[in-house]
Amino acid sequence: MTRRPVDTGDPDRLYTVTGGRSRADDSFDLVALVVSECEPTAGMQSEHLRILELCRHPTAVVEVAAELRLPITVVRILLSDLLAMGRITVRHPQMAQSAASLPHSALLKEVLRGLHNL
Amino acid sequence: MSVPAPPSQHRQRKAPRKLPTVPLVVLVASTVAAGAAAASAPAAARGWALTTALIGWLWVSVTVVVSALTLRRVRRSSVGQSTENANLEAQLAKQAAETAHLVNATLPAVAKRLHDGATVTEALANVPSPSDPQLRQVAETFCSLLEQAVQEAAALDAERHEARQERARASEELERLTAKTLPSVVAKLHDGGTADTVLAELDLPKTPLLRAPVESFVRELAHSERRAAAAQAASAKALSRVQAKAVSMLADLRDMQERHSEEVFGDLLKLDHSTSQLGLMTDRLALLMGGRTSRAWNKPIVMESILRGAVGRIAAYQRVRLHCSTNAAVSGFAAEGVMHLLAELMDNAANFSPPIDEVHVYVEERSAGLVVTIEDSGLKMADAAMRHAEQAVAGRVRDLASLQGTRLGLAVVGRLAVKYGISVNFRPSSRGGTGVVVLLPPQLLAQQRDSAPRDPARRPTAAAPTPGPAPVRESASTDRPDPATDRTAGRPEHPEQSARRRTEDSTPNGLPVRAPGHTMAEAERERLQRSGTADGTEKDRARDALADRRATARDAGSTFGAFHRGRRSGSGGTSDTPADPGPLEAE
Repeated sequence: MTRRPVDTGDPDRLYTVTGGRSRADDSFDLVALVVSECEPTAGMQSEHLRILELCRHPTAVVEVAAELRLPITVVRILLSDLLAMGRITVRHPQMAQSAASLPHSALLKEVLRGLHNL
Repeated sequence: MSVPAPPSQHRQRKAPRKLPTVPLVVLVASTVAAGAAAASAPAAARGWALTTALIGWLWVSVTVVVSALTLRRVRRSSVGQSTENANLEAQLAKQAAETAHLVNATLPAVAKRLHDGATVTEALANVPSPSDPQLRQVAETFCSLLEQAVQEAAALDAERHEARQERARASEELERLTAKTLPSVVAKLHDGGTADTVLAELDLPKTPLLRAPVESFVRELAHSERRAAAAQAASAKALSRVQAKAVSMLADLRDMQERHSEEVFGDLLKLDHSTSQLGLMTDRLALLMGGRTSRAWNKPIVMESILRGAVGRIAAYQRVRLHCSTNAAVSGFAAEGVMHLLAELMDNAANFSPPIDEVHVYVEERSAGLVVTIEDSGLKMADAAMRHAEQAVAGRVRDLASLQGTRLGLAVVGRLAVKYGISVNFRPSSRGGTGVVVLLPPQLLAQQRDSAPRDPARRPTAAAPTPGPAPVRESASTDRPDPATDRTAGRPEHPEQSARRRTEDSTPNGLPVRAPGHTMAEAERERLQRSGTADGTEKDRARDALADRRATARDAGSTFGAFHRGRRSGSGGTSDTPADPGPLEAE
């Protein structure tokens, strides 16, 4: 009956998942930890449901993307939706002071150059 | 046929007998008078008187005799004439009677006999022939003319009868041809019979006038059917190549969307959308041409994915709002058809509503099946347009000739609706536009056991918000009383069911058979579980193994693996943020 390989993927295209958006705000770092703030409710998009389910424990954005098998950009858009609705909170990996305490990248590059010149 | 008696001729015979008495009386009287005169005369004059009396008497007697003789002669001639007159009258009367008899009796009788088929001599032999030769000739001439006329009339009558029979036969054949033969011929030709086979099976009309047109009709129709079929097959084949190309493009695009960074992501989505629309168009044409859809699914597709897959194929997908809270799934064999059908209807709704208005799609679960309502807020359809649309989606008109221009979508909807038993109805929408109600019958929906194994992994709480649908589907799946046990390996089955399944799950050669809607792997696993051993410990162990696998779905290793996978696919998107230490940490 099947004269050709059957499709195994999902029929949904990514633009239908994001509603046509292709740009996410950059507020989500790859390793930012996401925590869901409420239980899933009826009528939500299935990806939102899965994110909320997944993020009962703090989960990194990349991890969410891998679990959902979706590109990181799409996950960021979905997460920004949830964040706007207040259903999740995001904890960025580096605090302001830790970022300040780290050496500046220009300094590191100079060090690298110096090492090369040795 | 009695002949009138001739009139009597003895009436005037006695008259001449009396005639001689008068002269005799005159003679006697004159004699007496002469004697008396002679006797009375004086003696002197006696001689003179006697002479005178004698002379006078002689004169008188001569006169009397002459006159008497003359009278007698005249009388005699008069009697002869009257006798002749009477004879002639009698003859005339006889002739008149004969003529009357001829006209009133003989000729009708002869005519009747001739009509009954007698010849002239036979007919004339049985009737009294008139004595008059002229009348006889008249009768004979009349008879021969009448016989000729009768023969001609008989010939004409036979001819007319024959013609009428022929006409009746021809009209009967024509009627049979029109009512029975030609429809069956058309059906046979439509089913792919060639002209020769159809003509061989056909009982052709005997009338040559009908036979020739029927033959040429059949050949011409066969030719055009073959032409149409060839054109359809060629276009279906060509379209299938386009379809395959579109599908592989979609797969490539999906792959690129994973690999490439955010800069090109939007462009890739645009290409993806265009390719999806292309897929809808080629699928539409392919379905009309008797081909197949470009994709086929081997697993149940949840309703949300169905709707998204449908909406992703139309141009104005951003105007379509999906309201779907059910977790029902459409069986794999029908998923693509349902998706295409919904895409066509959504496309229609979006095209016929103002570009700023939204199209709303609702899904609700009913005992009769799954109801999908597509409502736009455009203009109300005119009655005629709605009737036309209803007719198109009813799928009764399967002829390509009825297609009009670019409005092919509804015809495809009709075909799909007939194929899968989906009912599609148009009604005025409460939003002001038109609403389309699509009822997906329960046999198209996946049973609980099909969708259940996917749910714990993908959507653990999906069933929680909508507990309503579950009992409905359970009642629909009559032979699966307990979905919870189906999910695991231990399958309590009725003996006859398990026997049936065992015969079905592998071919006589031992190859596994995949049930519709199952992946090969699932089928194989089920087969092993069922046919491995029948004892409970094996089943229990398999069930435990499966349960363990689910329970440890998110252990530390899988978390790390997921992190790694996500990091790899997302690296392109974040490499441009130099202050971000994330990449350094993950490397």
